[in-house]
Amino acid sequence: MSYRTLFLAVAVAVVLIGTARAADEPKHPNWKGQWNAVVTPGLVGQQFKFDPTKDRGLGQQAPLTEEYKKVHADSMADQAQGGLGNYPTARCLPGGMPRMMASEAQEYIVTPETTYILLSSANDALRRIFTDGRDWPKDIEPTYQGYSIGRWSDTDGDGTYDLLEVETRGFKGPRAYDATGLPLAFDNQSVFKERFHLDKADPNILHVEITVIDHALTRPWTVDKTFRHNRNARPNWRENVCNEGNANIVIGNENYLLRADGVLMPAKKGQKPPDLRYFEQGPK
Amino acid sequence: MLERATRVAAVAFGAALVMTIGDLVVGDLVVGSIAVAADLKYPSWKGQWTPVTAPASGHSAAFDPAKPEGRAQHAPLTPEYQKALDDSVADIANGGFGHDPTALCYAAGMPRMMTYEAQEYVITPEVTYIMLGGDDHLRRVNTDGRDWPKNINPTYQGYSIGRWIDEDGDGTYDVLEVETRGPFKGPRAYDTSGLPLHLDDDSTFKERFFIDKADPNLLHDVITVFDKALTRPWTADKTFRRNADPQPEWPEYYCHVTSNRIVIGGEAYRMDADGVLMPTRKDQPPPDLKFFTPMQR
Repeated sequence: MSYRTLFLAVAVAVVLIGTARAADEPKHPNWKGQWNAVVTPGLVGQQFKFDPTKDRGLGQQAPLTEEYKKVHADSMADQAQGGLGNYPTARCLPGGMPRMMASEAQEYIVTPETTYILLSSANDALRRIFTDGRDWPKDIEPTYQGYSIGRWSDTDGDGTYDLLEVETRGFKGPRAYDATGLPLAFDNQSVFKERFHLDKADPNILHVEITVIDHALTRPWTVDKTFRHNRNARPNWRENVCNEGNANIVIGNENYLLRADGVLMPAKKGQKPPDLRYFEQGPK
Repeated sequence: MLERATRVAAVAFGAALVMTIGDLVVGDLVVGSIAVAADLKYPSWKGQWTPVTAPASGHSAAFDPAKPEGRAQHAPLTPEYQKALDDSVADIANGGFGHDPTALCYAAGMPRMMTYEAQEYVITPEVTYIMLGGDDHLRRVNTDGRDWPKNINPTYQGYSIGRWIDEDGDGTYDVLEVETRGPFKGPRAYDTSGLPLHLDDDSTFKERFFIDKADPNLLHDVITVFDKALTRPWTADKTFRRNADPQPEWPEYYCHVTSNRIVIGGEAYRMDADGVLMPTRKDQPPPDLKFFTPMQR
């Protein structure tokens, strides 16, 4: 190969590299596959809780304000009587943030503009994290999952992004961290800051560090949720439908139970039956 | 001649250098570092796609979007399932929910889920993800060359295997052919009239997804249903228009948030804005309250 030809080859390479860099700058990681939530064995409330290293409910030691400690206590007292307490998911409403991030099986699809998080939970199926550089919309339509904007960083300078920082705002409610009804503030003004990154020592562990800033808390509350990569290249993706097997039925503000044959039953001792004012006939 | 060959080799050498650098981007998806140029041939169908419904259909979310829901679909139903449709329509006319499981917030499944608004297609070599704006939020179409699993867990959406085709030979895939099999969960209906699929939950669907040749902002999903409730396969060409807004709103839809419908003891009821139980038809009996003691009433 002559000098002229070698020069041509190098020039082509430089031009193509420049083009590739411009088109792809900067590089995004590939986090494909199924990620399974890691929970410390033997704790109460194995799956859906905010801090996976502690029991759910009071065991979470959430820094709640006095007002919201009472909300939580009332929720658990109601549940002890057969009610649903402050746990909307029991009636198949979405869990939203941050409960949705406790979903057992998760999938991450990374594009330059959006990172999609597909969740196995029946009531929270999908998050979109916008990474296209957009600003916060002037009017955010409130949702249970909120509106998420993210930013990638290459913290180790190796040319590949390794950290996704996300802020999420704009909520519907009520929402609870777990099945005991551990509450978020009813003003739905929560803000979440998340850091997604692979473990430095184990690339099969994904960290999701979530900090909650919420008026039900005396200070921001941070936990490190971890997910292990499923080795099965073709894992099972379950379809969860909340209705199936859910015997709770809420009429007005009261939770009742439906027997297998469809007959209504009280969920609490001494519970009043539903208001039948619209029926011409009396109850059976 | 030799000089030309050398130049070609130099360009190839230069290009080869690049192949080991940057991300592999399929459409807009980063799927790994560049290694296989052939994988670059996947299309990008990014954006938000909204179902196109004909005015003649009343803009309803019907299987065949050119016709109104229910009987007007002229589905080739067997007499048994035509009767099931008629019964469902009559029940709905009487205030009931008919044969429409989604009225009670059950998943719609295939094929009704493909009528949902705000669809998004994310294409990777292994999977095409279809995100949906309805209560069925996601389909995974496996395109990694897998065979049918021996045991498929029943789902409302079924198990989908797809194959990409470059029909016009321009080096970019342009047709995604998909087969979706059960066993499905059920019951399922095509639309809110309760137009039924067979209760054996053993349907098969064959689909062809492609961009309209004359309009790059129009996506076709031609669906053929094979189902024992039908006398012959039934095909509809569903189309979706790309939203011109590059940052569209993605609605969060969960049926239970807005539903006021419940079934108690096989009877359909509704609740008013205060949550008070209401009959759905004249002279409807209230629920059986035998488990509530008279003292509690």
